[in-house]
Amino acid sequence: MTLRRLCSILFIAFLFLQGVYAAPTVEEGKTLFMANCASCHNKNMKDKLTGPALAGTEERWASYPREDLYKWIRNSQALIATGHPRAVALWNEWKPTLMNNFTNLTDEQIESMLLYINDAAAPKAVADGAQAGAAGAGTSGKSNSNTWLFGALALMLAFLAAALMYIVNNLDNINRMREGLAPRERTLAQMLTSKSAIALLVFAATMILGYKTIDNASRLGRSQDYEPDQPIAFSHKIHAGVNKIDCQYCHDSARRSKHSSIPGANTCMNCHSAIKIGTQSGTAEITKIFASIGYDPITGAYLEDYEQWDESKIEALYKKWIGQEYMSAKSLTSMDDAGRITVQNQWDGIVKALKNDSNGKIQGPIEWVRIHNLADHAYFNHAQHVAVGQIECQKCHGPVEEMDVVYQHSTLGMGWCINCHRETEVKFASNDYYKQYEQYHTELKSGTRSKVTVEDIGGLECQKCHY
Amino acid sequence: MQQDNGIWVGTADLTREESFVRNAAQEFSLENIDQTDGNWQTNRRDFLKMLGFGLGAATVAASCEIPMRRAVPYVTAPDAIVPGVANYYASTFINGGDVCPILVKTREGRPIKIEGNALSSLTKGGTSARAQALVLSLYDTKRVKNPARVSDEELSDLSWADLDKEVKAALSKGGVRILMHTSASPSARAALAELTSKYPDTRVVVYDPVSYSGLLDANEAAFGLRAVPSYRFDLAEVIVSFGADFLGTWINPVEHAAAYAEHRRMRKAAKGKMSRHYQVESHMSLTGSNADNRILVKPSEQGAAICALYNEVAALTGGSGIGGPKLNDKAATAMKKVARDLAAAKGRSLVVSSSNNREEQLIVNKINDMLGNLNTTVDFSRSSTNYQGSEKDVLRMVDDMNNGAVNTVILWNNANPLYDLPFAEKFAEAFRKVGVRIACASVPDETVLQCTHVAPVHHNLESWGDAQVREGELSLVQPTIAPLFNTRQAEHSFLEWTDSPNLDRNDPQPYYLYLRRQWLSTAKPNQNKFSGDDAFWEMSLHDGVLSWTPSARTVSISGAVALNASAVSQPSASEIEISFYETVHIGAGQYAHNPWLQEMPDPLLRTVWGNYLSVPVEWDGVNNINGWRDLNDGDIVEVEIEGRKARCTVVRTYGQMLGTVAIALGQGRTAGGCGEGHGVNVNPWLPVQNGIIQYHASNVQVSKKVDAEKLVACVQYHHTMGVRAEGVEEGKVINADEKSLGWKGFQGSLTDRSIIFHANQSEIKTLQADMEKFHDHAAHLNEQTLYPDRSDWYKNGPKWGMHIDLNACIGCGACQVACVSENNVPVVGKNEVARHHEMTWLRIDRYFYGDLENPRVVYQPMMCQHCDNAPCENVCPVNATNHSNEGLNQMAYNRCIGTRYCANNCPYKVRRFNWLDYTTADTWPGNEERVFHVDDKPFYADNLVRMVLNPDVTVRSRGVIEKCSLCVQRIQEGKLVAKRESRPIEDSDVRTACQTACPTGAITFGNVNNPDSAVSKAINADKALNYKVLEEINVRPIVDYTAKIRNSNETLFS
Repeated sequence: MTLRRLCSILFIAFLFLQGVYAAPTVEEGKTLFMANCASCHNKNMKDKLTGPALAGTEERWASYPREDLYKWIRNSQALIATGHPRAVALWNEWKPTLMNNFTNLTDEQIESMLLYINDAAAPKAVADGAQAGAAGAGTSGKSNSNTWLFGALALMLAFLAAALMYIVNNLDNINRMREGLAPRERTLAQMLTSKSAIALLVFAATMILGYKTIDNASRLGRSQDYEPDQPIAFSHKIHAGVNKIDCQYCHDSARRSKHSSIPGANTCMNCHSAIKIGTQSGTAEITKIFASIGYDPITGAYLEDYEQWDESKIEALYKKWIGQEYMSAKSLTSMDDAGRITVQNQWDGIVKALKNDSNGKIQGPIEWVRIHNLADHAYFNHAQHVAVGQIECQKCHGPVEEMDVVYQHSTLGMGWCINCHRETEVKFASNDYYKQYEQYHTELKSGTRSKVTVEDIGGLECQKCHY
Repeated sequence: MQQDNGIWVGTADLTREESFVRNAAQEFSLENIDQTDGNWQTNRRDFLKMLGFGLGAATVAASCEIPMRRAVPYVTAPDAIVPGVANYYASTFINGGDVCPILVKTREGRPIKIEGNALSSLTKGGTSARAQALVLSLYDTKRVKNPARVSDEELSDLSWADLDKEVKAALSKGGVRILMHTSASPSARAALAELTSKYPDTRVVVYDPVSYSGLLDANEAAFGLRAVPSYRFDLAEVIVSFGADFLGTWINPVEHAAAYAEHRRMRKAAKGKMSRHYQVESHMSLTGSNADNRILVKPSEQGAAICALYNEVAALTGGSGIGGPKLNDKAATAMKKVARDLAAAKGRSLVVSSSNNREEQLIVNKINDMLGNLNTTVDFSRSSTNYQGSEKDVLRMVDDMNNGAVNTVILWNNANPLYDLPFAEKFAEAFRKVGVRIACASVPDETVLQCTHVAPVHHNLESWGDAQVREGELSLVQPTIAPLFNTRQAEHSFLEWTDSPNLDRNDPQPYYLYLRRQWLSTAKPNQNKFSGDDAFWEMSLHDGVLSWTPSARTVSISGAVALNASAVSQPSASEIEISFYETVHIGAGQYAHNPWLQEMPDPLLRTVWGNYLSVPVEWDGVNNINGWRDLNDGDIVEVEIEGRKARCTVVRTYGQMLGTVAIALGQGRTAGGCGEGHGVNVNPWLPVQNGIIQYHASNVQVSKKVDAEKLVACVQYHHTMGVRAEGVEEGKVINADEKSLGWKGFQGSLTDRSIIFHANQSEIKTLQADMEKFHDHAAHLNEQTLYPDRSDWYKNGPKWGMHIDLNACIGCGACQVACVSENNVPVVGKNEVARHHEMTWLRIDRYFYGDLENPRVVYQPMMCQHCDNAPCENVCPVNATNHSNEGLNQMAYNRCIGTRYCANNCPYKVRRFNWLDYTTADTWPGNEERVFHVDDKPFYADNLVRMVLNPDVTVRSRGVIEKCSLCVQRIQEGKLVAKRESRPIEDSDVRTACQTACPTGAITFGNVNNPDSAVSKAINADKALNYKVLEEINVRPIVDYTAKIRNSNETLFS
């Protein structure tokens, strides 16, 4: 009896606590920042991008009313026009770059974003400490702060349970004594081998194992953090991070197709017909592109009939190029032994990367290893998310611009998709397609509805993704 | 009002056979359910073994690494292709005289779907089942993959160079005959002309799969033109057809259907402005089933019927009669009335005939002349030369071959004389005497195997070419995929063998250049929009069709023509007569090797995979309805004509005239693909009179039942919605339930429920009133629900709806094949169909009503009705089927555990269960092996065939339910287009596969929340005459149908 009651109390307590400490505002701020600001403002908050670094925004605006900052974020040009000194100063520094208007953001949302900006700008070590301290206050909730809390609570409840058991046992003994029976004394061993203790143990083991089984089973076939070696050591960090090439420059079908498509070698050649030597790898990697498409880096011309070339001819050409670059980099007049080894190694790399298993040819496409493998029965369309939803690539693919080797950032599990569909707002005002949702527009206008999420327009329904 | 409106499906339905009622009560047939193979008994040990294996396998699978997948980009990405986005190319479907301008949908360079080309002034975007199935034949595993030498029916590969050398050596000896079905391509004709002019005694011999010689000879005699005129069904208010199946198979059915439906659809019917259509025939054709009145005449009486009509029309228009043989009394009476209708619509009527008899066609021409139809509804300025065949020429060629005058024969354009000629044996004997026999063919059919060389040709979708649809419309053929095999276009081969200076051999696509030059010189002068060559060519390639108004050509019947009533077909005194007909899907055998078409049920017989002998149904006038000679569906009889015997499977056919039987052409194939071994080859039975093939015979003997087919692949009684049953106690037809029927297991039926409404045009007001009453009654019933009304839920955003005009629907089946193609619906084979396991998401139900011996027909396309209050959704234990807020009944395959409760609870019986792994989508390949009866692989098991699958639609595995999704992939795509363009969704954004395929525009689809959408307008126009099937059972379907209206002459036989 007591045991069962105790369990239910524990369970309810867990549920209750989860309810209280859910929905931290930093999370919302992050979502909003990623959706609205991240395309122009650097996510590390310390470096400039298209727009200024945002760390310390609150301090810089501290001498003005809070509303001025809201106005600035909603419509910066309007504030500049009023001659606001901070606004004018910023404009003078950054013009002609315009900041987009975000008239639909509420005060609370802006506060959330500011909270996130402070959070993200705070140094890492300090942030962890701050979170640990802030856990009790419940303002900034990261998952590890909850763990602390739950641990403490569990301890407290366990203590309480032990105390209650002790009291119940004593009361029972008092009863027995009144009835003239001998009080029941049990050793610890007896208690631990009692039916109820074993039942509790079995119950707990079943729950834990069951949870673990289901949790692990749902991960079968998923490959979060999958980070395979690619035939070319292509670094997104250099291309997207350092050189700030837009994702859609190469993955150009993301905005118009279900696939984001890996670019053809001809897209690489747009730049690499000029940039023939890599900053990290020299000739080792870029030459693979040339060998794939048939480009002679020495003369700077595409090769005629490259399809028909045999391997030795290809080998001679690219070995010559690699050797030539090796010598000029080292200012040598003739090839040394180390150079010969380098040339051979780089050529072997080309063969390994490009040689097609079925036709044995060097020429032809670069066969990349596919990282994001969505299940066949799930339909995903990049255009819907990139062009219509205006979701940042990083939202699903993670900080690709910081990855030397790309890995799968998200689980790509259905729960992960569904969560985002629950939270993400539809670009309701800016897209005329949504005009037909008249009821929502009325509700938004009257204020009975604050936002329309993907879920509200049917984004959780089976046949939005499975058909 | 009795709501079943007197419709029936077949005899079992009419007589309320117990077995039929029992079966109809189940969603799935219980017949043969345990016959998947012989050893499917599971005992405890097997169970434990499987359990153990299952656990072991799961463990192994769990510890396996996920296999590495490659992502292979282009080297140089083409501008036109964005991976994941479909490209459409305008092209043309051509098979002999069958021509249909099409758009080919390709994904990543792979054709996967055919759509109609709406720019065509003739087909207006319509297609046929045959055109829809074109894409599957591209991926036929039986295609000849290399040029080859043939000996003893074995192919041994050759190089093109060697083949060319041998062929040229043979050609240079002269005595060359090129035997082919008529080619519709002007550029191919030009290439052939080069070949014939180069070599001595080289001639082209042309025939057609189904002969039009009689018609062509008559037109040549009467007008000096060996051509088929344009029959303007869009202008005709009274149509009389003597056996011509112009909506299904005759000349150019897609074009005819589009024109014909203009006078038939509901908006005309509701205004009382329908055309009137009489069909004179013995076997009910697709066209006959759509007619307002059918007049039954025996096949041999067709000439008499034509003469009778001539005499009546002449009497009314002041001409003189020509006499003629005696016609049966009933038909003779009817002809008087028909003539009166015709004479009242002079210049706005049309008489056509299928007669392959010069004299009969001359009389028909004269009738049209007397009625003032020449140059109005019979228009020679837009004539067609796509049928040019002459069996006389073929017979002459046989003589030449026998005389040793022929050294070389080249076969082209699907000519398969060893199968498709009535005198195939005679031909084969002579053919073997020819030294070099070259087949330009794509599959190793009956004739190819008897040749000496094969020069394999590109598929239609790999070729360059053109087609003259009619005078005034040219259509281009462009390749939509690089050749899959080492094949070469026949036209290219001809030019190669000619050593033509016009062939740029060094170009990668020499025939492209040839075609382009041809177009610039011959087609370009027909337009004045573009003067530059490149601009003209690009435009032509983009549009696919080039239409212009040809100069008017008025014809009159030559004075030299004398009508001869004694030369028409003479009525026979034979007890039984037989007619042979071409089917909508198989043709005369050209399409027999296409599984989609083989598995498409014959619109009328509802049979698949084979041809069946139609026998009439006898009614004793009181109670008993018997198959003729007590024959039942699936009985096997022996048929003997002129000493030739064959065993045929019988199917009872309503509307088949007593004393006649009929059987389709095109089956009984012995080589070339999946059509082998189904049905009987009836070609040897076709009589040849005066060198012209006749499609009927009179001296027929039909034996009594000699055997019965075990598995009858006829879907007539499958998925029956309406069941009548006779109560045990009441002794009359009632709402059947377990108690009243007196046997256990009956789960309730849909007796007396609304499936079809029909009326004659003259009674449309009564019908309207009745239907209003019905709607009120249904609404009243539906209000008696305990559950809250949730229709508000659909007010926000789009809500999809469909409207089907049963007056425009002709039952041709194009939608059904389009659906199969779009949605990866598996092909299951004959045995599986016999076990009620056909997988089609869209079926076309055929109902009869009216006179038992000459009933009328309604076709009803039936697919998931996406009920707003769907009974299937409530019973799913895992919520695998549920509703979207756009009104779609969604099916999540990966959630489905296969209880089939939903299918059992579906009143429309549109849910299909994957009993077996038809598509080899199963994760465990071992599951496939015991699936199919024989050692066959499942149809989609081959990787070549799998190229036809639509990548946007999941391939379903064994054990799940599937059904129509209203092409949800197209809905999602259409919505995305609108969103990306930031605009409201329009009708043109989302069109379902069945809708785009329909040649008559019977199907409308769209957003019913938008009052301006086409579907809203269709539903709200003539509102009372629209209804929902089973409207009164409160499932709230979203598909609207119109009542079937006919413009019958009710006093025809009195």
